[in-house]
Amino acid sequence: MLCALRPELLHPLSVHLPLAALLLAAVIFSWGVFFKNPLALRMGGILTIIGTVGAWFSIYTGDLADGIVSRTLCDPTVLKTHENYALTATWIFSMASLLILLDLFKILAYLRYWANILVVLLLISGAGLLIYVGSLGSELVYEQAAGVSIPSEDCSEFD
Amino acid sequence: MKKIVFALTIAFTAFTFNSCGENTDVVDSGTYQGNVKEVEADKTEIYVETADGKVLELYFTEGTVLTQNGETVEFEVLKEGQKVEVEVEKKGKRLDPLKVTIME
Repeated sequence: MLCALRPELLHPLSVHLPLAALLLAAVIFSWGVFFKNPLALRMGGILTIIGTVGAWFSIYTGDLADGIVSRTLCDPTVLKTHENYALTATWIFSMASLLILLDLFKILAYLRYWANILVVLLLISGAGLLIYVGSLGSELVYEQAAGVSIPSEDCSEFD
Repeated sequence: MKKIVFALTIAFTAFTFNSCGENTDVVDSGTYQGNVKEVEADKTEIYVETADGKVLELYFTEGTVLTQNGETVEFEVLKEGQKVEVEVEKKGKRLDPLKVTIME
């Protein structure tokens, strides 16, 4: 209900699932490659694909929020950097997802080992970017009150 | 096959990093001339590239006045490539457009 009234709130609602899924995917998939654990590879792959779909949805909700919160920020360059790195990270995870899907359909049979190494590199670099993107997002909320509705001093709205 | 996959990966990565977003600049309050680089109608936002290569991201506010040939016009009149003069006020690092004049 609140999100229907304030579309900018869809973004914080949608970012946390892909954030958790992709960070976990980086750890679990890397574990699977280095310890040759097929279950970890499968779980890491599924988390990567779920997280990537969620990340593209978050890009969409972020774009919705952008037009609303940009007008109130004191330093919109932080938002621009947040958006640019989020898009870069999402493309990186998309490449990893593509490699995982190609492997799933046996298209990379000859190159499986190297494809998995490449996926690990992409997931780790993407995870690093994602942490930076998250820190910029928190800076926007906690330093610049992006999308934050500040109640009156006497809290009369809550009576 | 390995070489093809490697080359494709490099090409895709280069494309990816080139295509991710747009950098913008912060300038002092004042009047600037440039060309409209991009119009985002649903956000009433424009990007203006000045002669010295700076890109200004401008979100129209309720107080922004848009004119053409001396008359006030609607936002929909703005198109990519148009030459414009913008008067901006810098608040923090945000640029609020006070007046935008379409010069052609």
